[in-house]
Amino acid sequence: MDDTHIRLAHGNGGSYMRELIETVFARHLANPLLNVQADAVALPAMEGGGVVMVTTDGFTVQPLEFPGGTIGSLAVHGTVNDLAVSGATPYYLTLNAFIEEGFDIARLERIIASLAEAAREARVVIVAGDTKVLPHGEVGGLYLATTGVGVRAQHLQLGLDRVQPGDAVLVSGPVGDHGIAVLLAREEFGLRGELLSDAASVFPLTQALASLNGLRFMRDPTRGGLATVLHEICRATGLEVRLNQTAIPVREQVAAVCEMLGYDPLFLACEGRVVAVVEASQAPEALTRLQALPQGREAAIIGSVNAGRAHVVLQTELGGERILEELEDDPLPRIC
Amino acid sequence: MNAKDQQVVERTEPEARRWMVTGRVQGVGFRPFVFRLAQRFHLTGRVQNLSGQVLIEAAGEKPMLDAFGAALLAEAPPLAQPEMICVERISYRKLDRFEIVLSSAVEAAEIHIPPDYFLCDDCKREMQTPGDRRYRYPFINCTQCGPRYTLITRLPYDRLNTTMAGFELCSACRAEYENPFDRRFHAEPVACPACGPQLCLVTPSGHVERAAALAACVSALRQGEIVAVKGIGGYHMMCDANNGTAVGRLRANKQRPHKPLALMFPWRGADGMERVQRELEIDAAARVLLCTPMRPIVLLRRRMDSTLPESIAPGLREIGAMLPYSPLHHLLLDEFNNPVVATSGNISGEPVMTDNTEVEKRLGNVTRIFLHHDRPIARPADDPVMRIIAGKARLIRAGRGVAPMELDFPRLFAQPVLAVGGHMKNSVALGWGRRVVLAPHIGDLDAPRSLAVFEQVIADFQRLYGVIPQAIVCDAHAGYASSRWAAQRGLPLIRVWHHHAHASALAMEHCMERHRGGTWLIFTWDGVGLGEDGTLWGGEALHGYPGAWRRAARMRPFRLPGGERAGREPWRSGMSLCWESGIDDQPCVADATLLKKAWKKKLNAPVTTAVGRLFDGAASLLGLIDKASYEGQAGMYLESAAAGNAEAMDLPLEKDASGLLTADWKPLIQALLQGDVPVAQRAMQFHMSLARSIVAQAQYIHASTPFDRVGLTGGVFQNKLLAELAAAQLAAAGFDAHLPERLPSNDGGIAFGQLAEAECAHG
Ligand SMILES: [Fe+3]
Ligand SMILES: [Mg+2]
Ligand SMILES: [Zn+2]
Ligand SMILES: [Zn+2]
Repeated sequence: MDDTHIRLAHGNGGSYMRELIETVFARHLANPLLNVQADAVALPAMEGGGVVMVTTDGFTVQPLEFPGGTIGSLAVHGTVNDLAVSGATPYYLTLNAFIEEGFDIARLERIIASLAEAAREARVVIVAGDTKVLPHGEVGGLYLATTGVGVRAQHLQLGLDRVQPGDAVLVSGPVGDHGIAVLLAREEFGLRGELLSDAASVFPLTQALASLNGLRFMRDPTRGGLATVLHEICRATGLEVRLNQTAIPVREQVAAVCEMLGYDPLFLACEGRVVAVVEASQAPEALTRLQALPQGREAAIIGSVNAGRAHVVLQTELGGERILEELEDDPLPRIC
Repeated sequence: MNAKDQQVVERTEPEARRWMVTGRVQGVGFRPFVFRLAQRFHLTGRVQNLSGQVLIEAAGEKPMLDAFGAALLAEAPPLAQPEMICVERISYRKLDRFEIVLSSAVEAAEIHIPPDYFLCDDCKREMQTPGDRRYRYPFINCTQCGPRYTLITRLPYDRLNTTMAGFELCSACRAEYENPFDRRFHAEPVACPACGPQLCLVTPSGHVERAAALAACVSALRQGEIVAVKGIGGYHMMCDANNGTAVGRLRANKQRPHKPLALMFPWRGADGMERVQRELEIDAAARVLLCTPMRPIVLLRRRMDSTLPESIAPGLREIGAMLPYSPLHHLLLDEFNNPVVATSGNISGEPVMTDNTEVEKRLGNVTRIFLHHDRPIARPADDPVMRIIAGKARLIRAGRGVAPMELDFPRLFAQPVLAVGGHMKNSVALGWGRRVVLAPHIGDLDAPRSLAVFEQVIADFQRLYGVIPQAIVCDAHAGYASSRWAAQRGLPLIRVWHHHAHASALAMEHCMERHRGGTWLIFTWDGVGLGEDGTLWGGEALHGYPGAWRRAARMRPFRLPGGERAGREPWRSGMSLCWESGIDDQPCVADATLLKKAWKKKLNAPVTTAVGRLFDGAASLLGLIDKASYEGQAGMYLESAAAGNAEAMDLPLEKDASGLLTADWKPLIQALLQGDVPVAQRAMQFHMSLARSIVAQAQYIHASTPFDRVGLTGGVFQNKLLAELAAAQLAAAGFDAHLPERLPSNDGGIAFGQLAEAECAHG
């Protein structure tokens, strides 16, 4: 095997490994705190004296590169967004890379470069990392794992326990973009290019909402999509979530692909959207704040939380009502 | 042996006897009937309701007692279905009269809840007699007619336990109610204009009441308006059936572009049928059916010279017709003097609406005119639908007048069991002792209102019948709302395969009717249902008997590109059938490049054997339909399109190593695409070929694994053409062939089948 591809030796702690880290990881991720030689990093005290928040996530997306992102940028956004929707300001990330023997080093570099770019944009720094190489066939090319550290203001209390009947539900932009972009890329449908993943840091959005005292809860609708977040609200609160179907932003291309293939965009993953539950009287203000940001231009008030049975109910244009059931592993048609 | 023969000893002194009667004896005037009978035979004693059973004790001369005992069954009121449990001698006690002892709930015995009845002839006569105090009163009723199931709130069946509790009887009504010789003795919903419910017509410009409301409603209908009319089990949306513009507006407002609209005809002529037969073809069977106390919607062929607008049932040859059943409907139709569209006041797939406020809120975009009344409806009951297939009335939808449906179960349930049915066309059933009660049609469980009614009916059934289920049966498809609900109850759960339930429903129904078992081959053809191998079945022949079914044959599997969407868009099945046949140049409604790639990659394209989807595909390939706006539309179009003569094709049969027979639909696809053959002939050929394949499959299987009877069930066999062809050809081939007789062949009968299958497999 030539030196353009990952070898098992790249993971044995020797010179290959050092070289890989230096040429690929350190080169792109360099910052004053990252010391590839150290066993641990000392983090300076973070401003404001808030609550330190930590989260961790693994990334296994296929394909590794897709329109609008890579597994690298996703590893930043996914973790940053988990901090952001908790009301925290993200500061630091750690990175673990699991690389398959035979992986193209040029491709690895592209992915790490996009990771670095995403981190710069999200204003987080990678403060520690690790690399493992696994024998051919044991990994789908590349897996990443990131741990994020952030700080949440002391007074900011968000959570499902704060959700009240009457609250409004907002989404910060069109749903399903990521799910469809990845699906089209993965299945090589030859439709690529038109539709980009929405993968991005949602911190600007959550920051804009954080100072509203009527903000109850935020979540980024990733796996399982918008509907799954709403089910979480139902389950935790015992309240009904009622959606106005026509208000839910869905891009035309996403709707078209979903219609053709029989998917429901409400169940498709987003990687740069926020679902927010806001006290009803502050919903217009929340909407204004979201729409003022480039990422939130298409934000919408999509429904409400109500007293009633704990169902997610989709209200159609014609006054019809449909219960959105929880996602199944392998949904089979029920029409007999 | 009857009681009479046991009286061997001649006696001259008076004696006394006791009878226990069960069956449908509540709310049907049985006790007053017993009372009057006792007077006739000069007997003293008493009659008492014991929460379901009726206890009769009578004393008098022996011949009189004999005659009385015989008349109890022979002369029972038309709506009563008494069954004698026992008769015995008791010690004589001198009494001076015969009395009716008021209801007792002490003993929980056999409780029967009657469905809602039509307007009886006696009440109709009174209603039409000027000067009668109930002249033109829309809520007239007696022990022989009127609502029951939709107004009972609790048992025992007494006025205070109905939605009439809020109406205090006037003295005239009370006198009738308390007079054992009166037809209205303990007619719980009894009422008159002085004390009972009233009409109220609400329009954007205000409201009018009573007679003026009815008159204003009729004139609104004449002007081509749509009116929401509250009836027995819910609201109808009504408009002039002959006014194409009004029908068009109703369709547009209700967002129901094609689904056939039921009609209600005025009662005219000696048999009431005069106006119906002007538009529709009716034979003797249809005549009987239209007039039964159930007053169902009957699907009847449109006459060639019918002037009804095509938009009543676009693309179909049949129209659903019914006669008035409540006094209000009689008055309304008499006055209007023309057929009206009487479609359920609901949102597609939901149960019919029953509440004045809700209907104004949720159907406000369909009409702004509402004919309300103030008698509350305790729970919805949609109109029942029937079709005459192979010479007999077959239930398409169990509703008002038909359900709650009582079925005697041929086995003893080890414990009370609840069956929660399917997902679409849901209905539930409760089984205990040797009884099963099937609820009226509820709806598709996607909607919150359907689910709410589903839960209400389950709770009401348990309460009304006093039965607490110890286990629940549901479909094996865990995604059905009914299955999800069942899984959360914390009771032992039995999951039954969809088509096993279909087959067991048919087999058990016939077992009950004729008290015989034996081995069956049952064709369970429908849309889709989860099968034992994890694929979607719907084209199987199951061999065995309840509790022991084996998949003996199936149609060739194909994929449903787009999953659930394929059920609503027949073109998807059409394209898939072509692709599976290697036909790649078939023109398509949309650019299906993406879909075909997904189909190739098996992405959201589940495998099915369903004949319902085969019908979809065929209708689409014939150019009859691309997207369906209601369930079953493609199959109905294909049936309607079929005419003339055609030659049946043989569908190749192949048996695999496991013994499973597969019938290949492939020759049908080529035939459907023969553009130079008339559509009617191709549609006919499709039906005939499937019928022939049924016979061929039966013969093939019979050779190696014999069976006693053949059954045809599942939604596909609501197709009259296919069902009649198949039944006739099976009979001609020497098979004993059966269709469902009392239960719907579609998923409305699933709950009963679930009970039967679960009880036989596990009970
Ligand atoms: Fe079925
Ligand atoms: Mg995450
Ligand atoms: Zn009557
Ligand atoms: Zn009165």
